Amino acid sequence: MNDVVQNIIHFFVTFLFSLLFLMGAATILVYLERKVMAWMQDRYGPLHVGPHGALQTVMDVAKLLLKEDLKVSSADNPVYKFAPMVFFAPVITAFVVIPFSPYMTAGALSTGLIYYVALSSIDVIGVFMAGWGSNNKYALIGGLRSTAQMISYELPLILSLVGVIMLTSVLAPGCTGPNPDLNTCGVGSISFTQIVAAQMRPESPWLWFVLLQPLGLVVYYICGLAETNRSPFDLPEAESELVAGYLTEYSGLRWAMFFLGEYGNMTIVSAVATAIFLGGWSFPGAAIGFWTDHLGSFGGQLVFNIICVAVFLAKMFALLLVFIWVRSTLPRLRADQLMRFAWLYLIPLTLVNILVTGALLLFIPPNTLVQGDVLRIAVSAVVNWGMLVFVILSFRRLAGLTSKGKLPRWVRPAKGPVTVVTPAAQSQTPPTAQTPELAAGAGAARK
Amino acid sequence: MATEVQPGYEVGPAGFRSEEMILNMGPQHPSTHGVLRLVLVLDGETVVQCTPVIGYLHRGMEKIFENRPYMAGPRYIDNADYLSPMLNECCYAGAVEQLMGIEPPRRAQYIRVLVGELERIASHLVAIGTYGLDLGAFTPVLWCFRDREQILDMFESLSGHRFTHNYMRVGGVLYDFPKGWLEQCEKFLDKFEKTSIPELEELLTGNEIFEARTQGVGYIDPQQALAYALTGPVARASGVPFDVRVNRPYGAYREIPVNIKLRQDGDCFARYKVRMDEMGESVRLCRTVLDKLPGGPISVRSPIALRPPRGETYFSVESARGEESLYMISDGSEYPYRAKLRAPSFVNLQVLPELLRGHKIGDVIAILGSIDIVLGDVDR
Repeated sequence: MNDVVQNIIHFFVTFLFSLLFLMGAATILVYLERKVMAWMQDRYGPLHVGPHGALQTVMDVAKLLLKEDLKVSSADNPVYKFAPMVFFAPVITAFVVIPFSPYMTAGALSTGLIYYVALSSIDVIGVFMAGWGSNNKYALIGGLRSTAQMISYELPLILSLVGVIMLTSVLAPGCTGPNPDLNTCGVGSISFTQIVAAQMRPESPWLWFVLLQPLGLVVYYICGLAETNRSPFDLPEAESELVAGYLTEYSGLRWAMFFLGEYGNMTIVSAVATAIFLGGWSFPGAAIGFWTDHLGSFGGQLVFNIICVAVFLAKMFALLLVFIWVRSTLPRLRADQLMRFAWLYLIPLTLVNILVTGALLLFIPPNTLVQGDVLRIAVSAVVNWGMLVFVILSFRRLAGLTSKGKLPRWVRPAKGPVTVVTPAAQSQTPPTAQTPELAAGAGAARK
Repeated sequence: MATEVQPGYEVGPAGFRSEEMILNMGPQHPSTHGVLRLVLVLDGETVVQCTPVIGYLHRGMEKIFENRPYMAGPRYIDNADYLSPMLNECCYAGAVEQLMGIEPPRRAQYIRVLVGELERIASHLVAIGTYGLDLGAFTPVLWCFRDREQILDMFESLSGHRFTHNYMRVGGVLYDFPKGWLEQCEKFLDKFEKTSIPELEELLTGNEIFEARTQGVGYIDPQQALAYALTGPVARASGVPFDVRVNRPYGAYREIPVNIKLRQDGDCFARYKVRMDEMGESVRLCRTVLDKLPGGPISVRSPIALRPPRGETYFSVESARGEESLYMISDGSEYPYRAKLRAPSFVNLQVLPELLRGHKIGDVIAILGSIDIVLGDVDR
């Protein structure tokens, strides 16, 4: 009985935290984006509402709440009205599985990763409903684009996480000792808590998976950009082409739900990347024993968890800054280039990554060195870093993004110089005082 | 399911027939660069047909010229191509001078070249910045406008207006440089050449996505460019070596040689790159003017009521968008009998429907932005 009550309390604390955190994080993120982008672009950003314009987004949200709920008369009513909820609900729900600290997580979900991936792919239904229900051509094109895009990028996103799951099979507790426990060893975990735990075992506290799978992080992040419809993959709402894409007909609170949902999605993508690749809440001295020794059992737990949450958020916002940085740097891809990039570049890349990681884990025998799997891990890390460097260096050619130097056949310029027959100088009289060198210069120009 | 099959539409296995979609892009649209309306017939995302509809900004500029004395012309022609008013004024003043047979003093001619080239830089900055914005890059436009603002500040201290300068007069210019203006100009040129152009090049030119979006897109054949009478960077990017400053030099360009910036590729990237190169060339020309700036008067003495002799004239300058020319007929009175403005944007826009056919929606914006039209110039 006591366990049940504790579980319920645990769940509600986490859920409320997630909901409030989502709203808060989205609001902060919008402000952060406007401010950081402004600094990158030599302007001030919000200045007037609150100190340094800090309350600007709060006021914006308040304004959106108070706006009239406009509806297009020709819209498909239920679909149109239901779409923002379908978009927004999975965002809140997916947040529950994120482990902010040892305590603040819904530990019951041992299938956390699958849960997150499944919920993040529900978003696309909301977007498509918005595009279809608005009865607007721009919205329709935006909705179709985003359906194609989000489904395509779902695959490499999942595949990029597989490498990490394979590594957890080796790093699982009981797997690295002299007598491997075959119940847990060699399986791999899709639970966020266990993946975080695998990155901070006592003998290797700094073994973040970004060190072992940097390629995985890069691919995951690119797919995360596409999943959240962020630049350079913001085609569904491409402002300069489709006005606002699937958001064109929305205003007020419904628009705000899409807006907050999008920023919530960004937050989730970053939080998942933090948990899986950046060690979650691990930080120097991330041992609970130190705090309970000094502050007693309850106080130690409290302080430790607060610090863990702070560390997690710091890592998460560092990743979110990358979102902002990318947005202010890159132009947008075209729809066909976007699809080609996913299917012909990212998916093969992730498959190769899985293959190489698996082959290394298979063929390099365990326990070669003194302690654990040092050799296996080191080799796979080095190989993955090498793959990342290779991918970055050969990006142009592999991605087939550019036709530099070899334009398509039908684009080649016609042979032979083009001559333009024009009359000589216009009929003004030349300037009166001309120095000899100037006259020579003018002659050169006419030639 | 009874469906009448129109020729050209295929009926799928389920009995549905696919139809083309008509999309009205504009006149209220973020990236039609003003109030241009494009009626696109789309097959999925592919453009089948494009019909530009213009005239939303028509102000009857040529008729206005006929109803105003020659003196009042520069103020109105400012608004034709509102991103390069100085060059428009050069065109107007030059045409009336040619009509009257006046030669402005050398200093005035040099000043016209200087402000004209600065205006060309400002105009190209807007073109490149908004082109980046069209393709989804947010930062270049703000950096471009930051630099352009400095040019406009200089124009403000020179002529009194940031934008519609009303600075040229028939027979010269209105004011000489205020104190410290030339130093300010030189400082701007140094900074612009040393930091701004490399920054832009870094942000856009070498960017893989930018190249992917622009290279091989919207190809204009040199013969096609000649057939459509394209001028300016659009033609020069297709390998047509035509620049009014070189082929029919006017004013101080008869003394200051201009290097034509040519590219052979003819695609959107080439048009962008020609503009980038021309900004560097304009900086060089400004420096040349600053070095050789002659003394003397800035304007000839001309009567307040200008009465050119009967006759007609055609005078063209190289505007930022191509050959901008004015055809004027004088009947000997204070008012032009007829004025016709050859607007480069208007002429360049005509090639758009042919370019767009077969491209995707995203390319519509890329191509339209690379032609760099100004709707004030198109509609006049």
